[in-house]
Amino acid sequence: MTSTLPEKLASLLGNHGVVPANRLAEYSIDGLVPASVVQPTSREAIAEVLRWAAAEKLAVSPRGGGTQMSLGNTPSKLDLVMDLSKYHRLLDYQPADLTATVEAGITLEAFQRELAQGGNLASLEAPMADRATIGGILAANSSGPLRHSYGPARDWLIGISIVGPDGGETKAGGKVVKNVTGYDLNKLYTGSLGTLGVIVEATFKLAPFPTDSGALVAVFPSMQTAMDEARNLLAQIYSPQGVHIVNALTAEKLDLPFNVPTDGACVMAFCSGRSRAVQRRLEESATLLLERNASQVERLDEPSGAALLRRLTDLGWSAATTPQLSLKINVSPSLVPKAIAWHQNSGIDPPGILADAGFGSVRLFWWGEEALPISGVIEAIVRLRAIAQESGGSVVVEHCPLPAKAQVDVWGDTSVEVELMRRIKHAFDPLGTLNPGRFMGRL
Amino acid sequence: MVTAKFIQQLGAIVGAEDVISHPEDLLVYEYDGSVDRSMPGAVVFPTCTEEVSRVLALAHREGVPVVGRGSGTGLSGGAIAPEGGIQIAFTKMNHILEVDTENRTATIEPGVVNLDLDNYVRKFGMRYAPDPSSQKACSLGGNIAENAGGPHCLAYGTTTNHVLGMEVVLEDGTVMNLGGPTRETPGYDLRGVFVGSEGTFGVATKIMVRLLPLPEMVKTFLGIFPDIDTACTAVSAIIGHGIVPAALEMIDALSIKAVQSVTDAGYPADAGAVLLVELEGLKEEVEDVTKEVESALWDTGARDVRIAEDPADREKLWVGRKTAFGAFGTIAPNYYLVDGVVPRTRLAQVMRKVSEVSEKYRITIANVFHAGDGNLHPCMLFDEREPGVSERAAQAAQELMEYCVGVGGTLSGEHGIGLEKKEYMPLVFNEADLDQMRKVRDAFAPSNRMNPGKIFPDGVSYHAGSHRAAPGMYI
Ligand SMILES: Cc1cc2nc3c(=O)[nH]c(=O)nc-3n(C[C@H](O)[C@H](O)[C@H](O)COP(=O)(O)OP(=O)(O)OC[C@H]3O[C@@H](n4cnc5c(N)ncnc54)[C@H](O)[C@@H]3O)c2cc1C
Ligand SMILES: Cc1cc2nc3c(=O)[nH]c(=O)nc-3n(C[C@H](O)[C@H](O)[C@H](O)COP(=O)(O)OP(=O)(O)OC[C@H]3O[C@@H](n4cnc5c(N)ncnc54)[C@H](O)[C@@H]3O)c2cc1C
Repeated sequence: MTSTLPEKLASLLGNHGVVPANRLAEYSIDGLVPASVVQPTSREAIAEVLRWAAAEKLAVSPRGGGTQMSLGNTPSKLDLVMDLSKYHRLLDYQPADLTATVEAGITLEAFQRELAQGGNLASLEAPMADRATIGGILAANSSGPLRHSYGPARDWLIGISIVGPDGGETKAGGKVVKNVTGYDLNKLYTGSLGTLGVIVEATFKLAPFPTDSGALVAVFPSMQTAMDEARNLLAQIYSPQGVHIVNALTAEKLDLPFNVPTDGACVMAFCSGRSRAVQRRLEESATLLLERNASQVERLDEPSGAALLRRLTDLGWSAATTPQLSLKINVSPSLVPKAIAWHQNSGIDPPGILADAGFGSVRLFWWGEEALPISGVIEAIVRLRAIAQESGGSVVVEHCPLPAKAQVDVWGDTSVEVELMRRIKHAFDPLGTLNPGRFMGRL
Repeated sequence: MVTAKFIQQLGAIVGAEDVISHPEDLLVYEYDGSVDRSMPGAVVFPTCTEEVSRVLALAHREGVPVVGRGSGTGLSGGAIAPEGGIQIAFTKMNHILEVDTENRTATIEPGVVNLDLDNYVRKFGMRYAPDPSSQKACSLGGNIAENAGGPHCLAYGTTTNHVLGMEVVLEDGTVMNLGGPTRETPGYDLRGVFVGSEGTFGVATKIMVRLLPLPEMVKTFLGIFPDIDTACTAVSAIIGHGIVPAALEMIDALSIKAVQSVTDAGYPADAGAVLLVELEGLKEEVEDVTKEVESALWDTGARDVRIAEDPADREKLWVGRKTAFGAFGTIAPNYYLVDGVVPRTRLAQVMRKVSEVSEKYRITIANVFHAGDGNLHPCMLFDEREPGVSERAAQAAQELMEYCVGVGGTLSGEHGIGLEKKEYMPLVFNEADLDQMRKVRDAFAPSNRMNPGKIFPDGVSYHAGSHRAAPGMYI
């Protein structure tokens, strides 16, 4: 049947809607090459392909910019990739209402460009903003270095339309900024990784474009002192909107204005908003860090501050910084100072560390050239998970060698809640058409 | 069915003194803040999760529907017991279990009253941001079920943005944790979809919320306008300038009169409308935005702009806003409130419609609402003893809801659908949209025994009645 697949799809979408066979490998997920890739440009086409795919019992993986397709468990089946990057219009923008509606395939960068013209901003952050799409960002509930203050994508989504595996389009929420009419399915679809439906349209509440921004970088003799000072900074009334700590290994990847000593660490702080407030945040934060024995504090005015913010957002996802293994530990913010040391129990080499002190996450990166032993990787994941879970946290595997992926669930251990998730998945996608196997519990 | 034996079994779980089943004791549990009423078969008052779980497991075995009840201030009939059902009242599960100043979180039982939590955490320099006007009475469990809003939700978001985790009990007694102490948890966002599910997924028995630090500076002003149309223009101008104040509330002429007759809030008696604007943040932010807000108010036609100089002044302005609904009792004994929400640029247009509807149906309508969010609260005031007036109020409400939807808005901004608005759901959602919602409910509650008969249209129309305004009540 796969031989007729491209022909059938071309009859549904026209030749321009089907990616030529010699480019299919670019769309592979964890080494699985899809039999076909479609690029629909209308909802009707999206619906028709899905309806047909379900009837043929094909597995479909929605895709935005493809910046993150290696995430999630290895698909249990992959026939068709639905690339939404050609479905990318801004549908409605009401600057005076601070709302906007887009098609799912628009990139974050293109969306922000349109909004800037009306003086607004979508409070969304994602790695590789020039390629990452709104659909992908929502599917992954993406966030960035300012998430502590502005929250992840789910906090800004007010309306959504999805096309289900049966080809039916449904909506939830609306275009108003406050809404309790029916269940808040916006929340369910956000972070569902394309396993419940293909996101086709999304409406956001917007924020005014900040008139000023800037960053600080400060060097400390050790991770622990840097961590303590970062937490102290966050407790101040003038605290920056995002405060992050990196060790020397990670600092190397960020192209900082100075070197961080091998055992040292760097605190990075980002501010944005109205000018006088931003300037005060930067000045008082710099003063405090210096008083607290930072060996060096540099202020990065624009565009340098924004450039560092972008490098930090892309860290671990851009081609140059993609590691062999990366793990994200979610914990309560007060546990971050402890969590940065947990890797010492991992049994493998010390990793690069990036901690978000306000939000409560620690990312660990193993960049080394030499391949990590698979058994060591699995052991490290299992051990870190045990420690994190004891503290009410979790560990998500962001990158890992494929053979290791086969043996651990990248999302974590399953629990009673997964049974409920399974019921939801089954009700929305009874045939397991969408991204089968990739989600938590290999749903 | 609620039999004598069933009541005895409930007593065996929670203690006989914590079950009530005599009709005269049940009277207060027959209604909430809405128009509908129905007597539960029994009300139980559990004191811990285990009791809740055992009650639910028992009810599940016996096929008895269950509804959670907080403080009964809901305005859409959410806590009204279904036919042959029981209520689990959370009055005795009202403890603040933990305040974590380092992580800025609080863990509480569902029966804790919203304002009690806020007052408590203020001692630690923090606050719980969602502040429904009913905050003196309503419970956090009810807030979660309705995804309650309040004046300060304009800047800080509604309840859903402040809930980190919940312990919930499902219809068969299963205890489950949704979300948790971390801002992110892998898997579907079950916590996010539970908030706003109006008690139809299960009951929350423990809630962990985020707290916010108190702001460095707060500034409150009163924009005084010749009429409501001009005041609406000012709202659009402020939002259109890219200013999202902490709160932006509208009070119309009729409400001003009612308020001033019970307390002196400092609202000028001859004003056509006032806007209550609050700014919060760093000193520099507040100072800069103050200038912009002031000029937006003057430029759009404010007659006067007053700034509260000290906390006492500020409190006075807010007391006015918060006593408005109670003060309506001086105008008429009954009220019925519409909770429509519209894009903020449509406010002036929609308020003109409200006054048309008031004339058309010969019903007095007062307006006190969350203007910054576009969340209207046209409040119909009448005396139900006047023949035909309740029906006219219901028709007027329907026309207003239809109009809100027509201009791109929706049915409810914060009070929920419940019994009251379920038949209007097709104005916004088609059958397929509603089916997606039913699928989620059925995953949580496969037997549909948690608060059945709510939210989804089923052709059973609610009793067009009305709620009695209670003068002096803090609402
Ligand atoms: C599981 C996961 C965790 C992540 N965690 C973080 C993080 O913590 N911080 C951070 O900054 N970034 C994170 N990212 C990256 C960030 O979310 C990406 O920038 C975003 O996913 C990029 O969008 P894209 O268009 O390239 O998506 P893609 O990489 O193309 O797709 C991402 C996922 O979304 C699905 N998808 C794509 N489009 C749609 C659609 N229209 N409808 C339904 N499903 C769709 C895909 O099937 C895929 O599963 C994460 C990504 C993933 C997948
Ligand atoms: C005068 C007045 C002003 C108001 N102002 C506002 C306002 O500004 N903003 C606003 O949002 N609302 C407002 N309300 C509406 C009401 O106060 C809110 O909906 C509130 O959240 C209800 O809380 P409650 O404890 O009274 O809940 P109840 O009325 O007892 O119950 C409401 C719903 O919550 C469910 N429930 C209760 N406890 C639980 C639990 N533990 N787990 C699961 N479900 C549960 C019930 O089953 C029911 O469906 C106002 C009401 C009045 C009377």
